[in-house]
Amino acid sequence: MKQTEYTPNIVAFTCNWCSYGSADLAGISRIQYPPSVKVVRLMCSGRVDPLMVIESFKNGADGVMVTGCHLGDCHYSTGNYRTKARFEALQKAMKLMGLHPDRLRLLWASASEGQQWAEAIIDMTERLREIGPNPINNGGGGK
Amino acid sequence: MTVAGDKTDFSSMVPTETALVIGGGVAGLQAALDIADQNFQVVLVEKTPSIGGVMAMLDKTFPTLDCSACILTPRLSEVSRHPNINLLTYSEVLGVSGEAGDFRVKILRKARKVIEDKCSGCGECVPHCPVQVKNEFDQNLGYRKAIYIAFPQNTPLVYTIDTDNCIKCELCVKSCDREAIDLSMEDEEIEIGVGAIVIATGYELFDVSQYRRLGYGRYRNVINALEYERLINASGPTGGNLLRLSDGKIPRSIGFIQCVGARDVQKGVPYCSRVCCMYGVKNAIMAKELQHENVKNVTVYYADIRAYGKGFEEFYQMAKRRFGIRFIRGRVAEVVEDPKTKDVIVYAENTQTSEFLKEKHEMVVLCPGILPPKGLKQLADELGLGLGTDGFISVEHPASNPVDTRIPGVYVAGCAESPKDIPDSVAAGSAAAMRASITLSRGGAS
Amino acid sequence: MASAEEPKIGVFVCHCGHNIAGAVDVESVARNASHYPHVLYSTDFMFMCSDMGQALIREKIEELGLDRVVVASCSPRMHEPTFRRVVEEAGMNRYCYEHVNLREHVSWCHANEPDKATTKADDLVRMAVARAALLQPLDIKTVSIEPHALIVGGGVTGLRAAVDIGSRGYKATVVERESEVGGFLRHLDVLYPDNEKAGEVIGRLRDAASKLDNVTILTDSEVVDFEGYVGNFEATIMNNKTGKKTKRKFGTVIVATGFEPFEPEGYYGYGEHPDIITLAEFEELRAKGAPLRASDGKPPKNVLFIGCVGSREEGKHGHEHCSRYCCTAMVKAAADIHDTCDEVVVLYSDLRTFGRGHEEIHRHALSEHVIFSKFGSKKPTVEVKGDEIVVRWKDVLSCGNMEYKPDLVVLTTAMIPPGTSENVGKLFGLTRSADGFFNEEHIKLAPLTTHTAGVMIAGAAQSPKDTTDATTQASGAAAKAVTLMVQKEVEIESAVSVVDDTLCSACHTCVTACPYSAISVNPDRDPPVAEVVEAKCHGCGTCAAACPSGAITMQHSTDDQILAMLEAYLEPSVFQGSGK
Repeated sequence: MKQTEYTPNIVAFTCNWCSYGSADLAGISRIQYPPSVKVVRLMCSGRVDPLMVIESFKNGADGVMVTGCHLGDCHYSTGNYRTKARFEALQKAMKLMGLHPDRLRLLWASASEGQQWAEAIIDMTERLREIGPNPINNGGGGK
Repeated sequence: MTVAGDKTDFSSMVPTETALVIGGGVAGLQAALDIADQNFQVVLVEKTPSIGGVMAMLDKTFPTLDCSACILTPRLSEVSRHPNINLLTYSEVLGVSGEAGDFRVKILRKARKVIEDKCSGCGECVPHCPVQVKNEFDQNLGYRKAIYIAFPQNTPLVYTIDTDNCIKCELCVKSCDREAIDLSMEDEEIEIGVGAIVIATGYELFDVSQYRRLGYGRYRNVINALEYERLINASGPTGGNLLRLSDGKIPRSIGFIQCVGARDVQKGVPYCSRVCCMYGVKNAIMAKELQHENVKNVTVYYADIRAYGKGFEEFYQMAKRRFGIRFIRGRVAEVVEDPKTKDVIVYAENTQTSEFLKEKHEMVVLCPGILPPKGLKQLADELGLGLGTDGFISVEHPASNPVDTRIPGVYVAGCAESPKDIPDSVAAGSAAAMRASITLSRGGAS
Repeated sequence: MASAEEPKIGVFVCHCGHNIAGAVDVESVARNASHYPHVLYSTDFMFMCSDMGQALIREKIEELGLDRVVVASCSPRMHEPTFRRVVEEAGMNRYCYEHVNLREHVSWCHANEPDKATTKADDLVRMAVARAALLQPLDIKTVSIEPHALIVGGGVTGLRAAVDIGSRGYKATVVERESEVGGFLRHLDVLYPDNEKAGEVIGRLRDAASKLDNVTILTDSEVVDFEGYVGNFEATIMNNKTGKKTKRKFGTVIVATGFEPFEPEGYYGYGEHPDIITLAEFEELRAKGAPLRASDGKPPKNVLFIGCVGSREEGKHGHEHCSRYCCTAMVKAAADIHDTCDEVVVLYSDLRTFGRGHEEIHRHALSEHVIFSKFGSKKPTVEVKGDEIVVRWKDVLSCGNMEYKPDLVVLTTAMIPPGTSENVGKLFGLTRSADGFFNEEHIKLAPLTTHTAGVMIAGAAQSPKDTTDATTQASGAAAKAVTLMVQKEVEIESAVSVVDDTLCSACHTCVTACPYSAISVNPDRDPPVAEVVEAKCHGCGTCAAACPSGAITMQHSTDDQILAMLEAYLEPSVFQGSGK
């Protein structure tokens, strides 16, 4: 059942160099997208500890995006390869946690890809509206 | 404290360690910062009461739609606080003698009638002043008092009294707790010794009333681009609301006319002003962005759209695709006013379709070309510099030495050399700083 | 000063004119923030970055003894450094400052939903306050600057920068891939607008460089490896002829790798007939003497130029940009050869003769009776029929279908980034925009510096441009490099990772994770534990995330700080409940 009324709560981990830049560019280009995402800025997507993703879901996030530079373009050369490996492990963990796999998403976006940032959020928001709020913690206390 | 208050001792400055920058716009600010960061002293002379230049008047800049004040004000702050920069605002260069390594510069410090060291910029005096005059910073669309700051981030944050309009009632003097107002203050002439000079005197706009057929000065709803900038600026006379001057209504259809006072041999301005296409596109986008659904029709009448710089072509395409701006290639023949509604009708030919158009707009914005500022010829003569046929400062070898004038030790940055946008002005400011620093470090030799 | 007691947080929410306040109810955001734990002071203000805004922060730090400050305004990429300086001036450690983006991430992209935008703003400020409470002061680190600039590329841009830096008294080393310096100017005859001879321009700069003892030019050379950080870079330079590699230390870098002229395979019959050439090839012929037809060696009589070849193609990645130099170059070439031809025709899409003296060149070409014809959205077609070339197009201004049989077709092609730019980007940590050219730090106010401290870009490497604009940028970039080298010392980021000996199990996971070999297990310790070499640590945090024992703390990006943000966002009632 599509719950069009609720604004999903999405946590987006971004890297300081590429994906944060793509989020900025989306705003600079005035591309409009739903206000579902709250950005946590890190230096590198390689900083994202799987624990942070799990805590996000435990606290009731409806979706989590892990974002960073394209493979091969990491500002810290190999950080995002680690991110990819951890993401794959997390995908398996989603099943164990009983969470819909579409709640977790990986996005590689360069600082010149503002459109892609916005589209990813529009897409994910749409999808989360279709599958409903996080069954753990009833979607959290956030509005 | 680097606001060169009354206590700065210019006689102790060593010429080979000091540079003069004439002009406090974005090019001059960049030059001053880059020279000062190399541990040289800089004297920055600006003729208006505040640094910031034309950029301080703009709302948004192309191609990123960055808010101009947002990117400029930290620079203003940086310059005013820099220990190596001595800011002389409301001042002008009267004469220069000498040579690289030892120029003697006479500077007129006009009397603001406010003591810079004492004024805190609190603004308590303003409500007491009974004189209200047109505000030139707002392009005469709004008002200010005889004691005023040009804009909220006026740097230095010190008031100035416009002596032409001050009636000497002294109500401001009595209102000032810090006793910072001194009506007996006189203009002062000082002389300083500098080793290198950077000219960054910026530009002026072409007077669009010279095109009588376009209606500026006759029709209330025909304005120029800088008046438009002030109307859409949140610190402008209407608080950022784009309103028609005739009746205060939001214009639902706006026409932008490009190349007014550019590429026109007959009007003495045969050259291209390089920035107007882009600022015209930017202003057109702003009309849609600000007013969303209210503005239905935004049309740009142009000769060529010169979207040549980084991100410019993409910005132009965005204007067409995302914002639905109409672009009509054709010089406007005439603008006529409907006397009842004050709407303005534009007569133009769409040269791409051979259609003759009669378009009704509720507001028309004329986009002027840019000219060398008044006084540039005198300054050039004083320094022995050449001027091009376009009236801007000549550069001898543009390919290899683009900021070097024919006088050793004198460099030029920004629009003083020829029209250019902000990034190119900033790059030129840094380039002139580099060249000036070489002159200084070599004691005057090039 | 930060203390072990309760943090004292000040929150400042910026209107940014109507940039933020137009969509976000900033007053309400500031009011809500005043109720968050440890917040002593919360206010909104028109322009936080202005002198008055900055003074307000300093004032409140002094008055209330604030030891953590949160400013909610534009992107941190804009003003985080500004506000860090402000708090430092008031005696607070800059790492106790937290920045919230309410503009690029909220008001500009959620402009049509002000209620939801305000809610999101509240969420972001709440997250920032939670993090701010856990921020810790860090020592400021400075590093020395090697007074030696590396200039990558020996074209006119690289040479100009080298001569400036050398004249200023600092060492500069130019690394040039080819056997001679000069770059693309070696293939040109005269330059617009003043007809300066390209060869003389290069000669002047080359001679000036050779007279400077502190300028070294290495030809047939390339940078094959590069590491380090601002002031302390180490480059491995290889001579392509001998294969010999040398390592040198540099303090600053200017990347001036220029451009490549686009080879228009598949455009307008290029490659199908020897007399369909590019403007670059045409200019090279001119530089050698007069341009002659490749087919029969005779001078051409009817020349047709086509503009915008490979430029301004919407949707075609890498070819969407305007190449800036071409309209004027094309018009000048047309005017120059008109004397020896019967007819010269220029087909253009738009005519962008924008620079000083450029419009005059256009007018001169018109007075020389060069024929200008504008084509619209439908591009001209070129048909090769044996020895003949037939060009057809629709002239927009007369609406006529045109046909012309030139004996030479000159295609004015795009300036594109050189094939090496991907590698160059990786080497020096530079990102590229959609057009493929290197990204500057800020497109308006910082066109010459990049996000990698100590690395500058100039000339066509930054975006297409002509010689005058390139050498202006070259001198500008030189000024940036010199400023660093004059300082002798510069501050670097203090956030590095730290190992807790008591938790480290020497599993070596961090060692393999680190891209910079900045962490290694010290076998001399008993038990062996991992140790961080601070000078090599770039602060990415990959090791902290990798450590299975949680032994590594990434300073200024700790697990606690991040988890606190998540909790504050998703469980605000818990956050607010744990009041002051």
